[in-house]
Amino acid sequence: MLNIQLAKDTFYATLRDRVAAGNAARTVVLRGTVRPGVVVAENELPGAAVDGISPADAFCLRWTGLSIDTQGPLPLIALGCEIRYATDGTSGMAGMDRGRALAAMDAELTAAISQAPQSACSMLVAEVAGGGASTEAMTGTNVFWGDVSFKAAVMNNERMERTAEVEVFSYGQ
Amino acid sequence: MRAAQVRMTDALLRSLGGRTVLLHIPAQAIPGDIGEQLGLALPLFQDVPIGPAVLRKVRPRIATAATERPAECELLLSASAVAKIVGSLDYQSADVLFANASGVLVDGELLEITSATSVEGFGSAYLYRLGLRASAADLV
Repeated sequence: MLNIQLAKDTFYATLRDRVAAGNAARTVVLRGTVRPGVVVAENELPGAAVDGISPADAFCLRWTGLSIDTQGPLPLIALGCEIRYATDGTSGMAGMDRGRALAAMDAELTAAISQAPQSACSMLVAEVAGGGASTEAMTGTNVFWGDVSFKAAVMNNERMERTAEVEVFSYGQ
Repeated sequence: MRAAQVRMTDALLRSLGGRTVLLHIPAQAIPGDIGEQLGLALPLFQDVPIGPAVLRKVRPRIATAATERPAECELLLSASAVAKIVGSLDYQSADVLFANASGVLVDGELLEITSATSVEGFGSAYLYRLGLRASAADLV
Protein backbone atom coordinates (compact mmCIF):
# COMPACT_ATOMS: atom_id res chain seq x y z
CA MET A 1 0.00 0.00 0.00
CA LEU A 2 1.22 3.51 -0.82
CA ASN A 3 2.36 5.38 2.23
CA ILE A 4 1.84 9.01 1.28
CA GLN A 5 2.02 10.09 4.90
CA LEU A 6 5.70 9.03 5.05
CA ALA A 7 6.59 11.75 2.55
CA LYS A 8 4.57 14.37 4.43
CA ASP A 9 6.07 13.49 7.81
CA THR A 10 9.63 13.29 6.50
CA PHE A 11 9.48 16.62 4.70
CA TYR A 12 7.99 18.31 7.77
CA ALA A 13 10.62 16.88 10.14
CA THR A 14 13.47 17.83 7.79
CA LEU A 15 12.19 21.37 7.27
CA ARG A 16 11.59 21.80 11.00
CA ASP A 17 15.14 20.69 11.87
CA ARG A 18 16.71 22.85 9.18
CA VAL A 19 14.73 25.96 10.16
CA ALA A 20 15.62 25.37 13.84
CA ALA A 21 19.30 24.95 12.92
CA GLY A 22 19.23 28.17 10.86
CA ASN A 23 17.47 30.25 13.50
CA ALA A 24 16.95 28.70 16.92
CA ALA A 25 14.82 31.69 17.94
CA ARG A 26 12.19 30.85 15.31
CA THR A 27 9.73 29.17 17.67
CA VAL A 28 5.99 28.97 18.16
CA VAL A 29 3.91 28.23 21.27
CA LEU A 30 1.17 25.67 20.62
CA ARG A 31 -0.90 24.08 23.36
CA GLY A 32 1.42 25.55 25.96
CA THR A 33 4.58 24.06 24.48
CA VAL A 34 7.42 25.85 22.71
CA ARG A 35 8.24 24.20 19.39
CA PRO A 36 10.37 25.08 16.36
CA GLY A 37 8.39 27.51 14.24
CA VAL A 38 7.17 25.03 11.62
CA VAL A 39 3.61 23.72 11.93
CA VAL A 40 1.49 21.42 9.78
CA ALA A 41 -2.05 22.78 9.84
CA GLU A 42 -3.75 19.41 9.35
CA ASN A 43 -1.91 17.88 12.32
CA GLU A 44 -3.25 20.38 14.83
CA LEU A 45 -6.63 20.64 16.50
CA PRO A 46 -9.28 22.07 14.14
CA GLY A 47 -9.93 25.00 16.43
CA ALA A 48 -6.30 25.71 17.13
CA ALA A 49 -6.22 28.65 14.71
CA VAL A 50 -3.07 27.43 12.98
CA ASP A 51 -4.72 26.86 9.64
CA GLY A 52 -3.10 29.38 7.37
CA ILE A 53 -1.18 32.13 8.97
CA SER A 54 -2.77 32.82 12.33
CA PRO A 55 0.43 32.34 14.35
CA ALA A 56 2.77 35.08 13.21
CA ASP A 57 6.51 34.49 12.69
CA ALA A 58 6.09 30.76 12.03
CA PHE A 59 5.84 28.63 8.90
CA CYS A 60 2.47 26.90 8.43
CA LEU A 61 2.46 23.95 6.04
CA ARG A 62 -0.63 22.85 4.14
CA TRP A 63 -0.64 19.83 1.88
CA THR A 64 -2.51 20.67 -1.28
CA GLY A 65 -2.09 18.76 -4.57
CA LEU A 66 -1.40 15.07 -5.02
CA SER A 67 -0.52 13.10 -8.14
CA ILE A 68 0.72 9.52 -8.43
CA ASP A 69 2.56 8.25 -11.50
CA THR A 70 2.15 4.48 -11.65
CA GLN A 71 3.96 3.94 -14.96
CA GLY A 72 7.41 3.23 -13.46
CA PRO A 73 8.64 0.19 -11.48
CA LEU A 74 7.65 2.04 -8.30
CA PRO A 75 4.80 4.57 -8.09
CA LEU A 76 6.06 8.16 -7.90
CA ILE A 77 4.13 10.31 -5.44
CA ALA A 78 4.14 14.08 -6.03
CA LEU A 79 2.69 16.28 -3.29
CA GLY A 80 2.07 20.00 -3.39
CA CYS A 81 3.08 21.81 -0.22
CA GLU A 82 1.96 25.35 0.52
CA ILE A 83 3.96 27.18 3.16
CA ARG A 84 2.25 30.26 4.56
CA TYR A 85 3.86 32.74 6.90
CA ALA A 86 3.22 36.19 8.23
CA THR A 87 4.78 38.78 10.47
CA ASP A 88 3.73 41.91 12.30
CA GLY A 89 7.34 42.99 12.85
CA THR A 90 8.50 43.60 16.39
CA SER A 91 6.65 45.68 18.95
CA GLY A 92 9.91 47.42 19.94
CA MET A 93 10.11 48.83 16.41
CA ALA A 94 6.36 49.58 16.34
CA GLY A 95 6.03 47.16 13.43
CA MET A 96 8.19 49.31 11.14
CA ASP A 97 10.52 46.37 10.62
CA ARG A 98 7.85 44.00 9.27
CA GLY A 99 9.32 44.14 5.76
CA ARG A 100 12.71 43.15 7.12
CA ALA A 101 11.14 40.41 9.26
CA LEU A 102 9.38 38.97 6.21
CA ALA A 103 12.61 39.13 4.20
CA ALA A 104 14.37 37.25 7.00
CA MET A 105 11.69 34.54 6.90
CA ASP A 106 12.03 34.35 3.09
CA ALA A 107 15.76 33.81 3.49
CA GLU A 108 15.38 31.20 6.23
CA LEU A 109 12.89 29.22 4.18
CA THR A 110 15.02 29.39 1.04
CA ALA A 111 18.09 28.24 2.99
CA ALA A 112 16.20 25.35 4.60
CA ILE A 113 14.68 24.05 1.38
CA SER A 114 17.60 24.70 -0.98
CA GLN A 115 20.24 23.31 1.38
CA ALA A 116 21.95 20.26 -0.12
CA PRO A 117 20.89 17.55 -0.22
CA GLN A 118 17.33 18.34 -1.25
CA SER A 119 16.31 14.92 -0.02
CA ALA A 120 15.98 12.93 3.20
CA CYS A 121 15.63 9.29 4.17
CA SER A 122 11.94 8.73 4.78
CA MET A 123 10.96 8.40 8.40
CA LEU A 124 8.29 6.22 9.94
CA VAL A 125 6.89 7.53 13.21
CA ALA A 126 4.82 5.30 15.46
CA GLU A 127 2.88 6.29 18.53
CA VAL A 128 3.62 4.19 21.59
CA ALA A 129 0.46 2.50 22.87
CA GLY A 130 -0.74 3.96 26.15
CA GLY A 131 0.97 7.31 25.62
CA GLY A 132 4.55 8.42 25.99
CA ALA A 133 7.02 9.65 23.42
CA SER A 134 6.74 8.42 19.83
CA THR A 135 9.35 6.23 18.15
CA GLU A 136 11.06 7.04 14.87
CA ALA A 137 12.55 4.59 12.37
CA MET A 138 14.20 5.17 9.00
CA THR A 139 12.89 3.33 5.97
CA GLY A 140 14.85 2.45 2.84
CA THR A 141 13.34 5.08 0.55
CA ASN A 142 14.05 8.76 0.03
CA VAL A 143 11.88 11.83 -0.07
CA PHE A 144 13.09 14.64 -2.33
CA TRP A 145 11.81 18.05 -3.29
CA GLY A 146 12.21 20.86 -5.82
CA ASP A 147 13.04 24.52 -5.36
CA VAL A 148 10.72 26.84 -3.52
CA SER A 149 8.66 29.43 -5.39
CA PHE A 150 7.23 32.53 -3.74
CA LYS A 151 3.98 34.36 -4.34
CA ALA A 152 3.62 38.11 -3.91
CA ALA A 153 3.56 39.46 -0.37
CA VAL A 154 0.12 40.56 0.81
CA MET A 155 -0.62 43.34 3.30
CA ASN A 156 -3.40 42.43 5.73
CA ASN A 157 -3.79 45.53 7.88
CA GLU A 158 -0.46 45.84 9.66
CA ARG A 159 0.48 42.21 8.96
CA MET A 160 2.61 41.09 6.01
CA GLU A 161 1.88 37.65 4.62
CA ARG A 162 3.41 35.46 1.98
CA THR A 163 2.76 32.01 0.55
CA ALA A 164 5.53 29.80 -0.83
CA GLU A 165 5.13 26.54 -2.70
CA VAL A 166 7.31 23.49 -3.06
CA GLU A 167 6.71 20.13 -4.66
CA VAL A 168 7.69 17.03 -2.68
CA PHE A 169 8.31 13.62 -4.27
CA SER A 170 8.67 10.11 -2.98
CA TYR A 171 8.64 6.61 -4.43
CA GLY A 172 5.90 4.47 -2.96
CA GLN A 173 6.73 1.18 -1.33
CA MET B 1 -18.18 51.90 37.64
CA ARG B 2 -16.45 49.01 35.88
CA ALA B 3 -16.98 46.61 38.79
CA ALA B 4 -20.62 47.71 39.00
CA GLN B 5 -21.17 46.78 35.36
CA VAL B 6 -19.69 43.33 35.90
CA ARG B 7 -21.77 42.77 39.06
CA MET B 8 -24.93 43.91 37.33
CA THR B 9 -24.25 41.59 34.35
CA ASP B 10 -23.62 38.65 36.66
CA ALA B 11 -26.87 39.37 38.54
CA LEU B 12 -28.75 39.64 35.24
CA LEU B 13 -27.31 36.33 33.98
CA ARG B 14 -28.25 34.62 37.27
CA SER B 15 -31.77 35.98 37.09
CA LEU B 16 -32.10 34.50 33.58
CA GLY B 17 -31.15 31.02 34.72
CA GLY B 18 -27.44 31.44 35.29
CA ARG B 19 -26.29 27.93 34.50
CA THR B 20 -22.75 26.53 34.40
CA VAL B 21 -21.23 25.14 31.19
CA LEU B 22 -17.89 23.44 30.58
CA LEU B 23 -15.20 24.93 28.38
CA HIS B 24 -13.42 22.07 26.56
CA ILE B 25 -9.75 23.08 26.46
CA PRO B 26 -6.83 20.98 25.18
CA ALA B 27 -4.24 20.17 27.85
CA GLN B 28 -0.59 21.02 27.42
CA ALA B 29 1.23 19.08 24.69
CA ILE B 30 4.21 16.81 25.46
CA PRO B 31 7.32 18.91 24.77
CA GLY B 32 9.60 17.59 22.01
CA ASP B 33 7.37 14.67 21.06
CA ILE B 34 7.24 14.35 17.28
CA GLY B 35 4.01 12.33 17.55
CA GLU B 36 2.32 15.48 18.88
CA GLN B 37 3.61 17.48 15.93
CA LEU B 38 2.52 14.87 13.38
CA GLY B 39 -1.01 14.55 14.73
CA LEU B 40 -0.41 11.00 16.01
CA ALA B 41 -0.80 11.59 19.73
CA LEU B 42 -4.25 11.65 21.26
CA PRO B 43 -4.58 15.09 22.84
CA LEU B 44 -5.82 15.33 26.41
CA PHE B 45 -8.56 17.75 27.33
CA GLN B 46 -9.72 19.47 30.47
CA ASP B 47 -13.27 20.65 31.04
CA VAL B 48 -13.31 23.91 32.94
CA PRO B 49 -16.63 24.98 34.51
CA ILE B 50 -17.64 28.51 33.68
CA GLY B 51 -20.68 30.43 34.82
CA PRO B 52 -23.04 32.15 35.22
CA ALA B 53 -23.97 31.61 31.59
CA VAL B 54 -27.17 31.83 29.60
CA LEU B 55 -27.80 29.72 26.51
CA ARG B 56 -30.39 30.72 23.97
CA LYS B 57 -31.34 29.48 20.52
CA VAL B 58 -30.76 31.80 17.60
CA ARG B 59 -32.42 31.88 14.24
CA PRO B 60 -30.44 33.48 11.39
CA ARG B 61 -32.23 36.51 9.96
CA ILE B 62 -30.62 36.03 6.56
CA ALA B 63 -30.25 32.57 5.00
CA THR B 64 -26.59 31.62 4.53
CA ALA B 65 -25.05 29.51 1.79
CA ALA B 66 -25.65 25.77 2.02
CA THR B 67 -21.95 25.16 2.72
CA GLU B 68 -21.94 27.58 5.64
CA ARG B 69 -23.50 26.38 8.84
CA PRO B 70 -24.71 29.29 10.94
CA ALA B 71 -24.53 29.43 14.71
CA GLU B 72 -27.41 27.53 16.28
CA CYS B 73 -27.29 29.05 19.71
CA GLU B 74 -25.67 31.84 21.59
CA LEU B 75 -23.96 31.66 24.94
CA LEU B 76 -23.78 34.75 27.11
CA LEU B 77 -20.91 34.48 29.56
CA SER B 78 -19.96 36.49 32.58
CA ALA B 79 -16.74 38.45 31.99
CA SER B 80 -15.73 37.96 35.64
CA ALA B 81 -15.82 34.16 35.19
CA VAL B 82 -13.84 34.38 31.95
CA ALA B 83 -11.26 36.65 33.60
CA LYS B 84 -10.73 34.09 36.40
CA ILE B 85 -10.03 31.29 33.87
CA VAL B 86 -7.77 33.48 31.74
CA GLY B 87 -5.75 34.30 34.85
CA SER B 88 -5.61 30.85 36.42
CA LEU B 89 -4.76 28.98 33.20
CA ASP B 90 -2.23 31.63 32.14
CA TYR B 91 -3.80 32.55 28.81
CA GLN B 92 -2.82 35.90 27.33
CA SER B 93 -6.39 37.06 26.78
CA ALA B 94 -9.98 35.89 26.49
CA ASP B 95 -9.59 35.82 22.69
CA VAL B 96 -6.69 33.37 22.98
CA LEU B 97 -8.70 31.25 25.43
CA PHE B 98 -11.68 30.98 23.06
CA ALA B 99 -9.45 30.45 20.02
CA ASN B 100 -7.73 27.53 21.77
CA ALA B 101 -10.89 25.96 23.17
CA SER B 102 -12.23 22.98 21.25
CA GLY B 103 -15.80 23.83 22.17
CA VAL B 104 -18.30 24.15 24.96
CA LEU B 105 -19.93 21.17 26.66
CA VAL B 106 -23.60 21.87 27.31
CA ASP B 107 -25.55 19.03 28.92
CA GLY B 108 -22.97 16.54 27.64
CA GLU B 109 -23.08 17.80 24.06
CA LEU B 110 -19.96 19.38 22.56
CA LEU B 111 -20.74 22.56 20.63
CA GLU B 112 -18.21 24.30 18.37
CA ILE B 113 -17.42 27.95 18.96
CA THR B 114 -18.13 29.87 15.74
CA SER B 115 -17.57 33.38 17.04
CA ALA B 116 -16.62 35.22 20.20
CA THR B 117 -17.41 38.85 20.81
CA SER B 118 -17.23 40.97 23.92
CA VAL B 119 -19.53 43.69 25.14
CA GLU B 120 -17.52 46.49 26.64
CA GLY B 121 -18.15 49.54 28.72
CA PHE B 122 -15.67 52.02 30.18
CA GLY B 123 -12.84 50.20 28.44
CA SER B 124 -13.38 46.74 29.83
CA ALA B 125 -15.48 43.71 28.90
CA TYR B 126 -18.45 42.85 31.11
CA LEU B 127 -20.05 40.17 28.91
CA TYR B 128 -18.86 37.66 26.30
CA ARG B 129 -21.13 36.36 23.57
CA LEU B 130 -20.18 33.03 21.96
CA GLY B 131 -21.82 31.71 18.79
CA LEU B 132 -22.19 27.92 19.04
CA ARG B 133 -23.23 25.13 16.71
CA ALA B 134 -23.20 21.32 16.80
CA SER B 135 -19.75 19.86 16.14
CA ALA B 136 -19.31 18.82 12.46
CA ALA B 137 -17.94 15.44 13.63
CA ASP B 138 -21.26 14.75 15.42
CA LEU B 139 -23.44 15.46 12.39
CA VAL B 140 -24.61 12.39 10.51
